[in-house]
Amino acid sequence: MRSGDTMDLLTLEGVTKTFGDVRAVDGLTLSIRQGEILGFLGTNGAGKTTTIKMLLGFFRPDSGKIAIWGGDPRTGAVRRRIGYMPETACYYPFLTIRELLDFYGGLCGMTRADIRSRAEQLIGRVGLAGVEKRLLRHYSKGMLQRAGIAQALLHDPDLLILDEPFTGLDPLARIQLRDLIRELRAQGKTIFFSSHELSEAELICDRVAMIRRGQTVWCGALHEVAGDGQQNLERIFLKMLGGEETA
Amino acid sequence: MKMCGRQTGALVRVALLDLYRRKDLIVVWLLSLVLLLPLAFFSPFGISGAGRYLNEIALLLVWLFSAVIGVGVAARLFPAEFESRTIFPLLAKPVTRGRIVLGKYLGALAASVSALTVFYLAYGVLCGLRQSVWFPVVLFQAFLLHIGFLIVVTALAMLGSLMMTPSANLTLCGLLIVGMLVFGQRLPSLIAAQPYPGKAFLMLVHALGPHVEFFDLRQRVIHGWSRVGWDVCAVVLLYAIGYAAACLGLAGWLFCRKKV
Repeated sequence: MRSGDTMDLLTLEGVTKTFGDVRAVDGLTLSIRQGEILGFLGTNGAGKTTTIKMLLGFFRPDSGKIAIWGGDPRTGAVRRRIGYMPETACYYPFLTIRELLDFYGGLCGMTRADIRSRAEQLIGRVGLAGVEKRLLRHYSKGMLQRAGIAQALLHDPDLLILDEPFTGLDPLARIQLRDLIRELRAQGKTIFFSSHELSEAELICDRVAMIRRGQTVWCGALHEVAGDGQQNLERIFLKMLGGEETA
Repeated sequence: MKMCGRQTGALVRVALLDLYRRKDLIVVWLLSLVLLLPLAFFSPFGISGAGRYLNEIALLLVWLFSAVIGVGVAARLFPAEFESRTIFPLLAKPVTRGRIVLGKYLGALAASVSALTVFYLAYGVLCGLRQSVWFPVVLFQAFLLHIGFLIVVTALAMLGSLMMTPSANLTLCGLLIVGMLVFGQRLPSLIAAQPYPGKAFLMLVHALGPHVEFFDLRQRVIHGWSRVGWDVCAVVLLYAIGYAAACLGLAGWLFCRKKV
């Protein structure tokens, strides 16, 4: 564990963000422990992506506090330890996967030799070997998601923030990504991923946090609620969030 | 320092790859060669001295194409990032917004200068074939100052790209460049002749406008006049660097405050 690490690796305390008349995040309080997989669940427009953008320092909260390893997420030292995969696979279409990794590796300050060896390893790991010479504009949606995973892992981050990582992946790729996420946790990495795919969250998360209208409505470990073998995540989700949405 | 170099280098490489892989540049090069090639062998009406007009047309084309490439590339970089949402993974990396502005600017400039080099080489070879004068010093100075022109206009277009839509930015940059090339030298006399408030407006334009006319050595090249002093070239290039630095400083400040 590096200096600055605490039990709670990431904390949000009473975070609020308003865009005009819309309160996207409303007093959100949440924490992630070192080495765990936290599923950040909510319906569309619940405030998941806004929260992630604040975690990445894209903009500041109007009020409240965000700390990652006890520091400001906008500082280079903190961001160097974070890997981020965006919701939509948005990468330069005129590059190949190797050039893309070369670019992001350069931005992370990696040497060319480091980028080359790490890219070699990751391209194989995410299943893009054999299509390295193809421009990204010719990739399918699933292949672009894989490219996104590779770029997020390139600089060997300690915290991974994945925004809807399973979107657009075929069943085989889902299984591979699930295995990869578990493997990363086994290596001591912390994973924060937003999703509205409950089945995936149920399979891999240690804890889940559910948000509605920018507020945490439930946060806890899955085994706490699934103990009786009857209550699965879908039921909890419907109980916590479904009433109002379906009303 | 090494980190800064790697980050800037990565941004420059991607800007260059963007330009070359889009093939826009190849089209402009081919078009310019098609237009310039007849100038090497064409003798209008057998009139001696008419070659100067051909040189003028050729250099005008070089200026036109270089301005289109310089402004076009710089004006597109940030809007394309926002439109395609590639800005999100970019901002998530440990790179400051100021460095992103600098890296993208240097990339746009490198792309424009590489295109300009091809234009001047083509012009030099074609003029050499016709006039048997190969790459005079004044042509090299014209090339050097033309780089100064690109230093200014790419910075201006990049600043504009963070303040307005691409079409508005291209229009405004085009008007400023043409306006300053045509009226720049006459601005002091126009200011003296104008009453207020027109005088104040022209003084503002004179103070803040990009004096691209400083970089224009076309007449010297066309008429085969002697070269300008190297100290003059240095001062003009310093002006270009200073103007670009001011534009980029403002662009960095705007980008840091831009909502994503």
